[in-house]
Amino acid sequence: MTIYSFYIFDRHCECIYVKQWHQRDRTFRPTSSSASTVDSPVALASDRHSSTSSKLQNEVHPSSRGGRLSVQDDAKLVFGVVFSLRNMVRKLSGPDDSFISYRTGSYKLHYYETATNLKFVLLTDVKMNNLKVVLHQIYVNLYVEFGEFFSIEHPGGEGVAVELFEMGLDSFIRTIQD
Amino acid sequence: MVILSLLILNKAGGLIFQRDFNEGLKKLSSNDYLVLAGTFHGVHAITSRISPVRNSGGGLEVLESDRFRMQCFQTLTGTKFLIFAEPNQPNIDVVVKRVYELYADYVMKNPFYQIEMPIRCEAFERNLVAYIKPK
Repeated sequence: MTIYSFYIFDRHCECIYVKQWHQRDRTFRPTSSSASTVDSPVALASDRHSSTSSKLQNEVHPSSRGGRLSVQDDAKLVFGVVFSLRNMVRKLSGPDDSFISYRTGSYKLHYYETATNLKFVLLTDVKMNNLKVVLHQIYVNLYVEFGEFFSIEHPGGEGVAVELFEMGLDSFIRTIQD
Repeated sequence: MVILSLLILNKAGGLIFQRDFNEGLKKLSSNDYLVLAGTFHGVHAITSRISPVRNSGGGLEVLESDRFRMQCFQTLTGTKFLIFAEPNQPNIDVVVKRVYELYADYVMKNPFYQIEMPIRCEAFERNLVAYIKPK
């Protein structure tokens, strides 16, 4: 069982968290526009940090992934796909139906949306069973515990809570993979 | 066998056939079906683009929701067959293959059918209904 990547989108359609495995171990956290206007030293420091890291990513990309898209562009496409499919499903069978997953010849995408329109997306290999429950648990046990604090208190910033979230997520994903 | 609906898209993403066989999906206006087909065509292209695996062929094949399961079969020429069935319907592959055969026999071999245009072939519909909803 392989897990390729994990995305969280907030209700403003913004990607607030990306994690990719099995491609290259790195995380990208898009800085929201609100964070860059804050001129506290901490925010500035984290801004500078993220801009250098994104520059680094751009340099790494072409060689490591061939003609593939950057992490940011991937996230935008993933959002577009799940958004369209979700609307399609709702249109076809009513607003209380929900899109669960789709698969192609090479991967499977699992989707879970909370009542507050937070979207959790997980890309795995084709043989994986339904992971809606797993995404729900990530939401309840990890996001609500650690992530919520991060997104409300530190928009675009870095804090202990994020590390806790990452550690939790990593160990959680490892349990599914086995 | 409970097949809810069948849509056929031409290679440009235009809807050329739509028919409901059983209750389960909402009836949309013909314009909405056209929009849906176009949207799906785009999404299908993107799903092959965002694949985490290199050199992976093909886009979306199966879509699952709480209430239905959609199988998408793309022919080598780019025509797409979308079959909506109940979530736990087995052997949709077989149904898709059979529908493709019917399409080949009664649509493509119909001398009056213009390629890429909406399908209005009585024999096709008759055989389709006979296969999917046998009396």
